[in-house]
Amino acid sequence: MNILSPVRRITSYVCLLAGIVMFVASLYMDITGVKNDARGTLLVVGVLLIIAGLYFFPTLKHHRTIINILFLFPLLFTFAVTVIIPLLLGIYYSFTDWNGIKMTKMVGFENYAKMFNQPAFIWSILLTFLFVVFNMILVNLVGFLLALLCTTKIKGLGFFRASYFLPNLIGGIVLGYIWQFIFANVVTEIFNQPWSWLANSNTAFMAIIIVYIWQYAGYIMLIYITGLTTVPRDVLEASAIDGANAIQTLFKIKIPMIASTITICTFLTLTSAFKQFDVNLALTGGKGSIPDFMGKYLSNGTEMIALNIYTTAINDRSYSLGQAKAVLFFIILATVSIIQVRISNKKEVEM
Amino acid sequence: MKKKLLATLLVGTMVVAMTACSSSDNNGGSAQNNEGGSSDASGSYDEIRLVNGKPEVDTQLQALAAKYKEETGNSIKIESIGGDTSASDALKGYFQAGNMPDIFVSETNQFADWDGYLADLSGEAWCDNTQYEYVDEKMGTIGYPYMVEATAIAYNADVLEAAGVDPASLTSPAAYEEAFATIDSKKDELGLTAVIGYCAEPNNLGWSTGTHIFAQYLDAGLAADDTTYIDLLNDGGKIDEARMTNFAKFIGMFNKYSDPDLLVDGTYDNQVGNFAAGKYAFVTQGSWIGASLTANENYSGFKVGFAPYAFEDGMDTIIAGPSSYWAVYSEGNVEAAKAFLNWCAGDSAQNILVNDAGFISPFDNCKYEPSDPFAASVISYMQAGKTSGWHTFLKKSGLENRTCQVFADYAQKTLDESGFVSTIGQVIADYYAE
Repeated sequence: MNILSPVRRITSYVCLLAGIVMFVASLYMDITGVKNDARGTLLVVGVLLIIAGLYFFPTLKHHRTIINILFLFPLLFTFAVTVIIPLLLGIYYSFTDWNGIKMTKMVGFENYAKMFNQPAFIWSILLTFLFVVFNMILVNLVGFLLALLCTTKIKGLGFFRASYFLPNLIGGIVLGYIWQFIFANVVTEIFNQPWSWLANSNTAFMAIIIVYIWQYAGYIMLIYITGLTTVPRDVLEASAIDGANAIQTLFKIKIPMIASTITICTFLTLTSAFKQFDVNLALTGGKGSIPDFMGKYLSNGTEMIALNIYTTAINDRSYSLGQAKAVLFFIILATVSIIQVRISNKKEVEM
Repeated sequence: MKKKLLATLLVGTMVVAMTACSSSDNNGGSAQNNEGGSSDASGSYDEIRLVNGKPEVDTQLQALAAKYKEETGNSIKIESIGGDTSASDALKGYFQAGNMPDIFVSETNQFADWDGYLADLSGEAWCDNTQYEYVDEKMGTIGYPYMVEATAIAYNADVLEAAGVDPASLTSPAAYEEAFATIDSKKDELGLTAVIGYCAEPNNLGWSTGTHIFAQYLDAGLAADDTTYIDLLNDGGKIDEARMTNFAKFIGMFNKYSDPDLLVDGTYDNQVGNFAAGKYAFVTQGSWIGASLTANENYSGFKVGFAPYAFEDGMDTIIAGPSSYWAVYSEGNVEAAKAFLNWCAGDSAQNILVNDAGFISPFDNCKYEPSDPFAASVISYMQAGKTSGWHTFLKKSGLENRTCQVFADYAQKTLDESGFVSTIGQVIADYYAE
């Protein structure tokens, strides 16, 4: 077993060589646009030969490593095709004048300079941060209160849990249209207003927050319920014997005990609020007027970053500018998430 | 040893899986090629593909494809993608994937993106029978008109007659003001909710205000090839303030007489539905509502027509022409595409397009009269030469998303008439400066 036969050596080299030749030939045909039916077969057989060649590669030292990589290959390949390559391509496109069809030249940092000269985009960033702050607090608060409610001994507990969670199962777009109807026809009647909340930027922003909480609080509630039920009975019993009342139990026992759950929930609400898109699109489409922001009249009063990127690329047909914004969005999201996790982790250690 | 056996087995499975996947792909590819080869042998064209942006006429276009196959033996595959914007997105995806159709739908301001990929159709037989083909100075004749759409102020002829208003007299702002006041005073006896169904809701109806109603500022009263105001607009976003002020006054009148429930937060369905039910005397939409009108259960069969947006004295044209075109992809099967388009201008194809799909034909030699309720009115304007162009589709794309909000603010009265003019001017200039 430890002796490498010359046959194996030759097989390996032949396989590798033939494989690479076939692989390169098929790629060459693809790039130059030669129509050949055998192209696909050539590519696949080439890849298989390369794999076989690597498997039989005459080395004892690295054999295990090669095998490991070969087994990891399908996963790595998928990850590269679906995540790494699009990310790199996206960053590359943000430096070009790509319009979705073709690119004529590299423009350097022009797209990045341009987006910071757009008051509308800066407004979107600010609005998104505001939205995130509101939501991180409100969704967690509402979710936690619902969880407290759903861990008490009230009747029809299963029904309440299910109904609070139900909005989360409805897609954001559908939710948006349902609430659009509610705001235009029901809310106006109740508050006796001339027109929908969605017609004014301030109330429309409130409306988005309300719908988002309605959608997301049930989901967060479920996580909090899981957290609350894992609080050990003996600790609660001990505190009861010591004479702690409900408020004290909540603040001194339950909340510290579920600190890790709070971390998870704030993290979840933070990132999902940042990426808010579907409700925003369906409810207001980002419309709303801001009479004077940085000296400009804005017509995207309720447009958050994700939607701004979409409209830039799709409606304004500036794919490369949209791509540059998306890169910035990625950086912001990555930074915020990392900071948030760091802070939360520290806190847990201190406890 | 056992481990090694297992490893070999697993590698084997992976290999089999990979070949299985790839071989199925391969079969698909070769099958297509075979098909192409066989139709070549019969001396005609390969199958071509057409991407259609009007899913509502998908059935009719499939019938068109079947008819084409029956008459010429050539086949065409119709793919319908909803809405013009999303069709253009899908096309970008197709382009990246090397899967471009031979004929695809395009709006005028999208042509520039495809510069270098569009076939010049000049000199084709159908060009002689229409004045609506899209001609670009640099790229040549690149847009095939497959239908004509019109927009102006649609009216309910029965209501106007009952109120004693002659639609032919509506060619000046004063005449409109008087007609609106007359109808408004007789609302109850006419069974109307409001005089006009005008909706400035920006999210779902932004295309209506931002593109179609704004189009009237650009083109109302002008000859079809007059590009004065679109040229001014595309020259860095300039507007003609006097014209815009008159336009604003006219829109202000809409704000005053429109249904308050519709004006700020209405929907397209409400707007068209209420008009169909006879609750509005006028509605600010175009000929595309004809099908929803006849399909509406509350539609009593009243006569309809178009009146011009006469925001200045003597404006008597409506905007009519193709709102989108079929373009031919120059790297596709151009000859087959040209053959199909020529056939489409012919009698049997026009029969389907006009009678079944309800299109108004852009071709002079078409003998079919569409059943669409607006068709007679549109055709009378076309025959009288009183049509203006659809130059609104030449504005910088995305502009409508900015301007529609100004219309909405005007409707909510957070902007007054002069505020509307100055704000829309500023918004347009800012957007062009970006």
